[in-house]
Amino acid sequence: MKRNQILTIGSIVLLFLFIGYANGHLNAYYIRILNNTAIFLMFAASYNLINGVTGQFSLEPNGFAAIGAYTAAILTLTPAQKEAMFIITPMVPWLQHIHMSFFPALIVAGIVTAMVGFILGFPVFRVRGDYLAIVTLGFGLTIRVVSNNTMSITNGPLGLKGIANYTNLWWSWGFAIAAMIVIMRLINSEFGRAMKAIRDDEDAAIAMGINTFKIKMIAFVTSAFFEGIAGGLLAHLITTISPTLFTFFLTFNLLIIIVIGGLGSMTGTAIATVLVVWGSEWLRIVEQPMHIFSLTIPGIPGMRMVIFSILLIIIMIFAREGIMGQKEFSWDSLFKLFKTKKVANK
Amino acid sequence: MNTVLKCNKMTMRFGGLTAVNEFSVEIPEKEIFGLIGPNGAGKTTVFNMITGNLQPTSGMIYFYDKPIVGLKPYQIVSLGMARTFQNIRLFTNLSVLENVLTGFHHKLKYNLFDTILRMPKFSKNEKIMVDMAMELLESVNLKDKADFKASELPYGDRRKVEIARALATGPKMLLLDEPAAGMNPQETLSLMYFIEEIREKFDLTVLLIEHDMKFVMSLCKRIAVLDHGVKIAEGKPEEVQKNPDVIRAYLGDINA
Repeated sequence: MKRNQILTIGSIVLLFLFIGYANGHLNAYYIRILNNTAIFLMFAASYNLINGVTGQFSLEPNGFAAIGAYTAAILTLTPAQKEAMFIITPMVPWLQHIHMSFFPALIVAGIVTAMVGFILGFPVFRVRGDYLAIVTLGFGLTIRVVSNNTMSITNGPLGLKGIANYTNLWWSWGFAIAAMIVIMRLINSEFGRAMKAIRDDEDAAIAMGINTFKIKMIAFVTSAFFEGIAGGLLAHLITTISPTLFTFFLTFNLLIIIVIGGLGSMTGTAIATVLVVWGSEWLRIVEQPMHIFSLTIPGIPGMRMVIFSILLIIIMIFAREGIMGQKEFSWDSLFKLFKTKKVANK
Repeated sequence: MNTVLKCNKMTMRFGGLTAVNEFSVEIPEKEIFGLIGPNGAGKTTVFNMITGNLQPTSGMIYFYDKPIVGLKPYQIVSLGMARTFQNIRLFTNLSVLENVLTGFHHKLKYNLFDTILRMPKFSKNEKIMVDMAMELLESVNLKDKADFKASELPYGDRRKVEIARALATGPKMLLLDEPAAGMNPQETLSLMYFIEEIREKFDLTVLLIEHDMKFVMSLCKRIAVLDHGVKIAEGKPEEVQKNPDVIRAYLGDINA
């Protein structure tokens, strides 16, 4: 027990030492990828909490990300910036004058998103299965349409520009690690067991005295909170946001990550996030013009998505469990692995 | 003798179909009561109404004199009523131990903040729950299989885990929906002893649905027979066995 705690703390310290090193020594391109990794890890882990652990197949993270991103961005933009930006319709006055520093803005973004999640939860959890997916998909689409049309709050299709570039490796990884710790602690408790029980058999869970609505709501609101913060981090990383950023593609990317990693496994999510985020950078080659012998293929934008889609299909056919299935990494299992290997060597 | 469960003219209609019609029954404390009847007679519907999964169209249900119609299933569980399912419904991806632990859920003594901050309250209560679950598993002879996944167990053991999980909720009354279904004669016999044993140990009142006549006749003190949603007989096993209505329901009319 003690040993495992030391190892966990040790590896987190190592990770932050690496971040400290990366901050000073790596070029902007790699730092950007590392930031993306942390933000997507946060998105995917929260998404997996509701989709994989609680088994409620839903499609709303792009909506939550949009709410978080817009909330945080509106809060950190200075009144002068807002006045200059809202050229078609002026911003509503109470939002016009509000201004906060980065950290409280992110927390407010998380809380606002969690509140939206809480309200959304009431209609959403009246239905199960496919219906749940459709209702949440509708929410994601609605948020985009709303952000396109509420000119006095979001500046509509013009989007928000000049958001300060606050997100650095410390912020993104700090929040990502915090989110992972909270989610893992939630999973490794009676609440997590109840979530898994609902996933395995909802009727039996009800018969065991589990208030399934409450448990689903806990998973959903937690997920919304962290997705909101991740959205805020994303906004302050790319510094320009508009409704087109938060299409279903974002949700689709996250879905690929959690399915590749294994629905219900946070370890799998972490591995798959690295694979997908880094992989999609590496796959930029396929979108560039290629010369194979005498054949010239013009660059096809979006080719990466085709490859990821094919990958998803292959996984659905041959490895439905994903990389980790529902298993989690633990120090004990690692040591066990070494032990059995030693025995095998003898 | 206290009455544990009292159903008063309980009726369930699904559209034009009357699944259960004015079913009344009283079950005293510590009794093993059997509910039998041909396929489709409405036995499981009666169960679902008692446990709150279905809301009766009309009629009242009292549990220790407290009306329970309209309560949510999880509220009824916390009053002290637990059930098992006809087709065993374990949480297949959870371990045997975790399955039993879910039974303590409604008595959970720590909240979300204790969980996230890992307060002493959290680890203390987690340990208490695990100890209690292990004790329960020991009493059903499954202690050595605590870390197995539920889906890895043989059929007879799964049934035991399902009963152990129901016992974890701390019930005063246990509702068993065809506990012996799919079991061979030896398994059925050991299940019979097992039910008798846990009834003694946990002071339970038991209501069970069963098709295995030998099982019902030797285990239950009283039996009610349901046919097409109507109770056609109630009484001691030997009386019910001789009842001409019951024979007709099961074997058909001799004159027909």
